[in-house]
Amino acid sequence: MSAMKELVEYMAKALVNDPDAVVVREIEGASATIFELSVAPDDMGRVIGKQGRVANAMRTLLRVAAVKEGKRVTLEIV
Amino acid sequence: MASEKKASVEILARTVEEAIDRGLSELGLRRDQVEVEIINPGRSGVLGFGAEEARVRITALPEEPALGKELPQREPAVAESLPEEAVEPATESVTAEPDVTELAVNLLQGLLERMKIHAQVTARIGDDLVEEGEDPPLTLDVTGDDLGILIGRRGETLRALQYMTRLMLSRSLERWEPVVVDVESYRVRRRRLLRQLAARMAERVSFSRQRVVLEAMPPHERRIVHIALRDHPDVTTKSIGEGEHRKVTIIPK
Repeated sequence: MSAMKELVEYMAKALVNDPDAVVVREIEGASATIFELSVAPDDMGRVIGKQGRVANAMRTLLRVAAVKEGKRVTLEIV
Repeated sequence: MASEKKASVEILARTVEEAIDRGLSELGLRRDQVEVEIINPGRSGVLGFGAEEARVRITALPEEPALGKELPQREPAVAESLPEEAVEPATESVTAEPDVTELAVNLLQGLLERMKIHAQVTARIGDDLVEEGEDPPLTLDVTGDDLGILIGRRGETLRALQYMTRLMLSRSLERWEPVVVDVESYRVRRRRLLRQLAARMAERVSFSRQRVVLEAMPPHERRIVHIALRDHPDVTTKSIGEGEHRKVTIIPK
């Protein structure tokens, strides 16, 4: 498992009520890697936050990891 | 001093907590110097739908005479457990709540590891990061080589790192723990810089009698400026604009 995927999982699992329902899919594209995060329906708000604040913090930190690996990334919550 | 201070403000924000923070910095007062009235606690709504902003009214309490009854103060237990003058403040280790400290350090280290950042995390009491009389927060210092990437433009990445650490820590403690994360003393340096800037600009304003608008800053940085100038004889401060564009204005009295 890539470190970036681990990072997304690590953050998400620490924030939700149901860590077992956290699933991260890593989709390697030509120009960028997409991470799709899914959580239990009741936990959606916990990984998105008001006005997307939590999701944006996750994206900012994920971007640091991506720069280290010389990649472009996006994080989507599905 | 019976200077003309605004006695009361009404603030709209996403959360009550944020509204209170903003109101306090607007008034340049501490939490124990005001009365907070929650007019509308707000609602977070479902995924942003049906959300309602929180509204609070913050009123300055009349200044208490020094011999008045003491307000209950949360003294950090560590201050008592350490022999005076024995330890340098900057290297004080946190002994008050070892579990919280250890947990916080582990969570942050876990984040950094997965971000492929090689750095050391040290816990301390952040008495150089708050105003006099405020409770110094548990502070995690991140040190290492080439950590500019962790600070980001105008500290944006550092703010995300601190926010995530607070969220994860608070979730596992089941209470809000406002831990501070600093990288290469960025916050300490920024604080010093802002206070110098505030003093310089205040001098310019009192000389020119023209207001000066500072660049946009996040709430905690605006607060540093407000507090630095709250007792200034010639100027007052005010924040204008919304959200990320909010700016401190220094106004001649």
